[in-house]
Amino acid sequence: MNRLIALDSAAHRQLRVDPAKVLAQAAGLNMLPVVLGEFLKLCVHYPIVLTKNGATGQFTCVALFGFEKQENLFWKQDRWDALYIPLQLMRQPFFLAPGQERMVCIDTVHAAVNRSLGDAIFDERGAETAYLQQVKQRLAALLEGEEQTDRFVRKLLALELVRPMRLEIEFANRQKLRVEGLYTVDEARLKALPAQAIVELHSLEYLAPTYTMLASLGHIYSLVQRRNECLR
Amino acid sequence: MSRATQSVVVVGGGTAGWITAGRIAARHSTRTGGVRVTLIESPTIPSIGVGEGTWPTMRNTLRKIGISETQFIRECEATFKQGAKFARWVTGAADDFYYHPLVLPQGFTKINLAPYWHRDQRGRSFSSAVCYQEAMCEQGLAPKLITSPEYAGVANYAYHLNAGKFAELLRQHCVEKLGVRHLLDDVTGVNAAPNGDIASVTTVANGAIGGDLFVDCTGFSSLLIGRHFGVPFIDRGEVLFVDNALAVQVPYEEMDSPVACHTISTAQPAGWIWDIGLQSRRGVGYVYSSSHVDHDTAVTTLRNYVGPSVEGLSIRRIPIRSGHRRLFWQNNCVAVGLSAGFLEPLEASALVLVELSAEMISEQLPPCREVMDVLAKRFNRTFSYRWDRIIDFLKLHYLLSQRSEAFWRDNRDSSSVPESLREQLDLWRYCTPGNHDFTSNNEVFPAASYQYVLYGMGFRTDIRYLEHTLTQADHAREQFEQNERAIQQALATFPTHRDLLQLVRQYGFQPL
Repeated sequence: MNRLIALDSAAHRQLRVDPAKVLAQAAGLNMLPVVLGEFLKLCVHYPIVLTKNGATGQFTCVALFGFEKQENLFWKQDRWDALYIPLQLMRQPFFLAPGQERMVCIDTVHAAVNRSLGDAIFDERGAETAYLQQVKQRLAALLEGEEQTDRFVRKLLALELVRPMRLEIEFANRQKLRVEGLYTVDEARLKALPAQAIVELHSLEYLAPTYTMLASLGHIYSLVQRRNECLR
Repeated sequence: MSRATQSVVVVGGGTAGWITAGRIAARHSTRTGGVRVTLIESPTIPSIGVGEGTWPTMRNTLRKIGISETQFIRECEATFKQGAKFARWVTGAADDFYYHPLVLPQGFTKINLAPYWHRDQRGRSFSSAVCYQEAMCEQGLAPKLITSPEYAGVANYAYHLNAGKFAELLRQHCVEKLGVRHLLDDVTGVNAAPNGDIASVTTVANGAIGGDLFVDCTGFSSLLIGRHFGVPFIDRGEVLFVDNALAVQVPYEEMDSPVACHTISTAQPAGWIWDIGLQSRRGVGYVYSSSHVDHDTAVTTLRNYVGPSVEGLSIRRIPIRSGHRRLFWQNNCVAVGLSAGFLEPLEASALVLVELSAEMISEQLPPCREVMDVLAKRFNRTFSYRWDRIIDFLKLHYLLSQRSEAFWRDNRDSSSVPESLREQLDLWRYCTPGNHDFTSNNEVFPAASYQYVLYGMGFRTDIRYLEHTLTQADHAREQFEQNERAIQQALATFPTHRDLLQLVRQYGFQPL
C-alpha cells in the first residue's frame, strides 16, 4: 500500500496531527539522522556522532538518545524530556516526494494523524495553517541540510578526521555495555591539520560543526546519568 | 665500501611482477627518491592470466601496496572467497563433499576440538561441527557487511579475481602512485658482471638496463633464473600427476545470478575441475593427468561439467609442469611467480607464493651487495621449505580418496608420497594434527587446514591411547554449542554474496 499521498487541501482539510503522538513514534529509537543547521541546538542535549547506514554503509550524522537499539533515554513518562527535538522527527508525518517537484506528501495512516486532536493542517477555507507552514520550512531545511551534511561528512572522511568511538560503560547496577558502530571526530588529527586545511574547513563553514560534534560528546555522560536514574 | 642496493629491475609484468614491484616500491620510498624500481614488460608476450584464487593474505598485500578494497573489487571483477568445497573427492558419490573453510575451528587458539569431535560428535562433519563458514557458503552468503570497513572481515575471507584486470590495476597504481618506472620493451639478452651477477639486461628499445637486484617474473620462460643462470627445474610430477589444464570462461545466465562464495573443486576420473565465481562470469577448468586420460576425453569431461552453456565458448589448453627451481635466488637474481615454479591450483598456492616472496624481498631487501648472499641463502631455505610443505598438503588431498579410477589408485601408491607426508600421516593415525606438527616460522598451511582436509576426506585418528588427556570435555561442548549459535547468527546476519557485491559497486566500503 502506498502510504504517502500528495497533500491536498480538499481531501485532507479535516485532518489533524497530534504532536504527542508524533513524538511517541520515536519512543523506541536510540538515534535519528540530523543536519548541520541544527547542530547548535542539538548540542544542548545530545551527543552528535556518526554512524553507518545499515543498508548502504555510508556515514551519516545522528543525535544519540540511548546506547542500545530501542533505548530512548529522553522519552520519559510519555513526553520528550528536552527543549529541542530533531527536525527529522518534527517533520512527521509529512514528507517531500522525490523528484523535481518536491511535492509535500502526508502519511495518512501515521499514528499521529486523526480528525479531532492536535494541529489542523488546513483551516476551514482550505488555506494552509501556520502549523503546515512551519512543517514546510522544516522539510525544506531537511532537504537542503541533508545534502550539506553529506558533503560535510565526506570532507571529514577525506581529511581522515573520523575515528571509531570505543565506548565501554559501566552503569550504576554494575552492568557493563560495549557500544559499537559509533564514530566521531578524531581530535588529535584535527589538531594536527595543516593550516591550509583548517582554513578550507573554516571557509566551507565546517569548522564550527566539527568542534560542536566534539563538544557534544560530553553528553555521553548525561546519557549515562539518565540511564542510571532509570535504574533507581 | 660495499655498494648499496639502489635499483631493482623487475623483468615481467604479470601479477607476480607488479605485486613484487609494488611491495618494494611502497616500502622503499621509490616515489620520493628511495630505491628505484623499474619494471620491464614485454609488449608481445601475453601473461598466462590464470591465478584467479587468492588467500586472505591478499588483503594485507593490497593494503601494504596502498590499493583500496572498493577499487580492487570494482576494477578486478573480484568476489569474496571463504574457502574451498571439495566435491566427490572421497567416494565420488553425488552427495560427497567437504569444506576447507578459511575460519579456524571454533576456539582453535585455546582448545583442539579434533579429538573431542572424534569422541562426541559422531555423525556430524568436522567442518560443520567446528566452523560456521560452511553454512554461510552453502547459503551463498557474503563474509562481511557493507558497513564493515575496508579489508576488515567478519568471517575470514580471500578473493577470486580476474588476473588480467588485476595486473592492470596494479600497473596503474605502481606507476602513478608508487613511482615505479614502466618500460614496455622486450628483453633480448642478459649481461653478466665479472662476479657472475647480472649487470644489465639488453632491451630492444631502451638499450641496457642495469640494476643491483633483478627479479625474474618472466613466467614459464624463466628467462633469468632458468635460461641465464641455468638453475635446474625440479620436476615434482612423480608426486602431483596433473600436467594439463583446460580453461573456459562461462558467463552467468542472468546479471544477478548467485555467485558462489567459495572455490568449488570437483574430482573427476583423471584430475579435478575448478569452478570460481567472478562478478560477470565463472572461471572453470579441468586439470588432469595426460597419462591417465587423452585430451579429447578431458575436453568432453569439462564440457559435460559446464553443461549446454558451454556451446560457443572457447576452451584453452595450458600444459603445466609441477615443480620448482632448485634455487630461487641466485647471485643478484630472484625468481617470483611461474619462473620459480608451478603447482596445480588445488589450494590457490600460486598467488600466495608470489605474495610471500614479494613480502620477504621487500621486508628483507639486501641493503648492499655484501650481504645479499646471506639473505639469498635464507630466502632459498625458506622457499624450499614452503614449496615442500605445499606439495605435501596438495598430495594429502589425493591420498585419502576412495575413488577407484587409475589416476586415483596411482595417487595412493606409496612410492608417489613424499616421506615427510608419510611420516606425518603415520603420526596422525594416533594424534590429531596440532601446532607441534608445524613449528617453523615459515609454515604456509596451519594445523587447522590439515584437520579440515584429513577429517573431511574421511580419515580418522585413533584417539584411544590419548583419551585420558581429554579433560576439557565441558569446554569442548561449550565450543561446539558456540559454533551452533555462530551458524544461526551468521545465517541471520549476512547478505547474499551477490547483494554485497552490488552494494560495493554502488556505495563501496568505508575506510574505517
